[in-house]
Amino acid sequence: MTARRQALLLLVPAALTLFVLFVLPQALMFEASLGRRSAYGGIVHEWSFANYARALEPLYLGIFARSVGLAALTTGLCLALAWPVAWWIAFRVPQRHKSALLVLLVLPFWTSFLVRMYAWIVLLRTEGVVNAVGVAFGLPAFDLLYNDLAVLIGQVYGELPFMALPLYASMEKLDRRLLEAAADLGASPLRRLREIALPLTLPGIAAGAVLVFIPSLGAYLAPDLLGGAKGVYVGNLVQSQFAVARDAPFGAALSFVLALLVFVAVAAARRPLAAARGL
Amino acid sequence: MNRRGSGLGLFALLVYLFLYAPILVLAALSFNESRSSALWEGFTFAWYLKLLQNAQVMQALRTSLIVAFVSTVFSTVLGTAAALAFHRHRFRRGAAIEALFALPIVVPEIVIASSMVLLFAALSLRLGLLTVVLAHVAFSISYVVVVVRARLAGFDRTLEEAAMDLGAGPWRTLWTVTLPLCAPAILAGALLAFALSIDDYVITSFVAGVGSTTLPLQIYSMVRSGVSPEINAVSTLLLLATSLLLLAAHLLERGKPARLCAAPAGLGLALLAGPFLIGGPAAAAGEKVLNLYIWSNYIAPETLAKFEARHGVKVNVDLYDSNEALLAKLQAGNANYDVVCPSNYAVAILARQELLHPLDLTALPNLAHVDPAFLDRPHDPGNRLSIPYFWGTTGIAYRKSRTGPIDSWAALWEPRFKGRILMLDDARETLGIALLLSRDGHGVNETDERALRQAKELLLVQKPLVRTYNSADFDQVLLAGDVWLAQGWSGQFARAMDEDPDIEYVVPKEGSSFFLDSLAIPRGAPNPALGHAFLDFVMEPEIAAEICMTMRYSTPNRAARALLPAAIRDHPAIFPPPDVMNRVELLEDVGDATVLYDRLWTEVKSAR
Repeated sequence: MTARRQALLLLVPAALTLFVLFVLPQALMFEASLGRRSAYGGIVHEWSFANYARALEPLYLGIFARSVGLAALTTGLCLALAWPVAWWIAFRVPQRHKSALLVLLVLPFWTSFLVRMYAWIVLLRTEGVVNAVGVAFGLPAFDLLYNDLAVLIGQVYGELPFMALPLYASMEKLDRRLLEAAADLGASPLRRLREIALPLTLPGIAAGAVLVFIPSLGAYLAPDLLGGAKGVYVGNLVQSQFAVARDAPFGAALSFVLALLVFVAVAAARRPLAAARGL
Repeated sequence: MNRRGSGLGLFALLVYLFLYAPILVLAALSFNESRSSALWEGFTFAWYLKLLQNAQVMQALRTSLIVAFVSTVFSTVLGTAAALAFHRHRFRRGAAIEALFALPIVVPEIVIASSMVLLFAALSLRLGLLTVVLAHVAFSISYVVVVVRARLAGFDRTLEEAAMDLGAGPWRTLWTVTLPLCAPAILAGALLAFALSIDDYVITSFVAGVGSTTLPLQIYSMVRSGVSPEINAVSTLLLLATSLLLLAAHLLERGKPARLCAAPAGLGLALLAGPFLIGGPAAAAGEKVLNLYIWSNYIAPETLAKFEARHGVKVNVDLYDSNEALLAKLQAGNANYDVVCPSNYAVAILARQELLHPLDLTALPNLAHVDPAFLDRPHDPGNRLSIPYFWGTTGIAYRKSRTGPIDSWAALWEPRFKGRILMLDDARETLGIALLLSRDGHGVNETDERALRQAKELLLVQKPLVRTYNSADFDQVLLAGDVWLAQGWSGQFARAMDEDPDIEYVVPKEGSSFFLDSLAIPRGAPNPALGHAFLDFVMEPEIAAEICMTMRYSTPNRAARALLPAAIRDHPAIFPPPDVMNRVELLEDVGDATVLYDRLWTEVKSAR
């Protein structure tokens, strides 16, 4: 038996599973997106692009823009928080503590996201924990919950580890001698960060950005629970087409526009990722 | 360590604090004596004991663990094999194969969820444990592949080559050299798959069916009454079990002696096995099962236990939180329930699509106890398809010490209550009261586009005053003090009034809507005879009274009402006086206007 045949045998079960459970449904979904809603919320299979035309109306385009904005902000904030932490674990922490610290990054994920969102509500509400602490220090109570900031906190909270882990992975592989050389040659810390550390961790940044940006595009729990449902994001919109308006064809069309956005985002990240593999 | 280094360490500490703040809160609340999770009122283990007695939560936990375990095994095996394949061979069409494996990571969850429903319906696969496991395997594989491949990327190939040179075949090399070397990565991949499975809500909620209510689904449906400390308790236990297992793995990796690792590993595994030892199996082989699909907090476990004892059957309960979820499941045609609980308008939709089993009224003698006012309604003439179960009104609950008396929907437009108003997150209910306020004689079932657009304008004017839109735990938001006035449904507010005497409920003078939730048997139900027995059982006066007592929604059963204590029989929110009943209108299906309602509501919610 050749190595190639072995590799094929190993690959086929997983590839087939993914083909049947991901590719086929997408084809069905595309067919549905060309149909229209029946009076009872079923699908009438009469093909047209009407749903796509509707998805491009200003009302829905605005919602898409809002989602892209939230995803971009989430990605940026996650990067700002996760990069220093990953750097700290990679370069400042003794080897024997590293794996424990990495596991601690992911451990909260073993509790339901929903339960953690409700814990945030307890933290942020008017008579909540954060305000109680603030009031004890003589600050006034703020309305922290049910606004865009709360949505952002929830999103960043949910996505942070997905940024931190790939960042750490790319830092682990980084050649320390480059940093030392730069320091020896008298480069300032800022310059070493800008010209050595950031470019060398670009693959991790790109991978993390993809892993954070994409799920954030489809976010709907944080906007509903922490944002008080006062803003609509694509995730909420798609969800409500399937679960409230029972307009599966329009929901499917929106999903495809969303998938298109995702592919654009991934394509944008491809170049730094590919460059990274060359390093 | 230098000064800059400790600055970095402080920053990292703050980030870890950010990650663990909510975890600390939920762990603390699981020991809090107070049920409404706002204030600390003393230490207690009571919620852990209650958790053990909560059959539904324990069942959901068991289901979650089974699903997570099975799907982790499959996705780890498939994913590891695929990762090895990528490692061994550079495929032609590599880009296409890479893209295939990237799909589950890059396609948003909601898209995966909705497309899988279409697939399972097309394959006429019954929604249940199998479909949930399939979905979980599918979305976990790619993550396992990513983790294992990352490990293999830094792999010393010379070891493999040496094995081959020494005469080991490719499989032997794989088994004795490659696999042991990437064992830590496989373990990491499996842990990730387990975490993804046990936390998944979105996809599971779409593909779940009979007997596959996982813990996140259970939690989501319990949220209507606020996240109870029991849920915090179960979360804390799960986290503890995981931490112990990870600790054991960590000690093992560091080369500590096995007996040192055995204690945390054993304790962790015992915690995970606990639910299976306590609850026992779902149903013994050959035992008859009634599959009930119902709103959360709509029937008490004690009541179900009585039915089980009387008929020698097991009742399987799955929960939903909207009529639309129910409609979607029944329309897909691959969910096997015996009894469902649609609201009146959903009954009408299901009836028109012939998705309900005709009732044999001779098998339902207890229907005689039901108030005729709730029988023979337009959504089901002659009650050929459904029996009334609960009803309730939409009204305003308010904190009277803050607002003074309220009697009009216009209060929800008063600037002095800015930021203290909660509205339902529901197109029909919000546009409905705006229609009532427009004074042009529009009812809550209006389908005229101009009238609806005017109603939308009214909601846009109101939006800056609204603190939050919420149709799940609106009563809890009111109780917690975040808002002073809340639009919502009577049953939940009746429970809130029991907790806090400062809360008052009113059905405003302009009128309002009411709902009537019915029990029905879906077409194709596995056991319609048992379904009839259940329908007749809940209409027995004593049973109907018990259900009303425990759930606080209004029973349409006249004989049952007579059995209730005066405090409930005359409760203004549960049984409003006759003049209120004269000004409320039943919400009906609005057909194609549903799309318009949804669109207008989207416009309101997305307005700045």
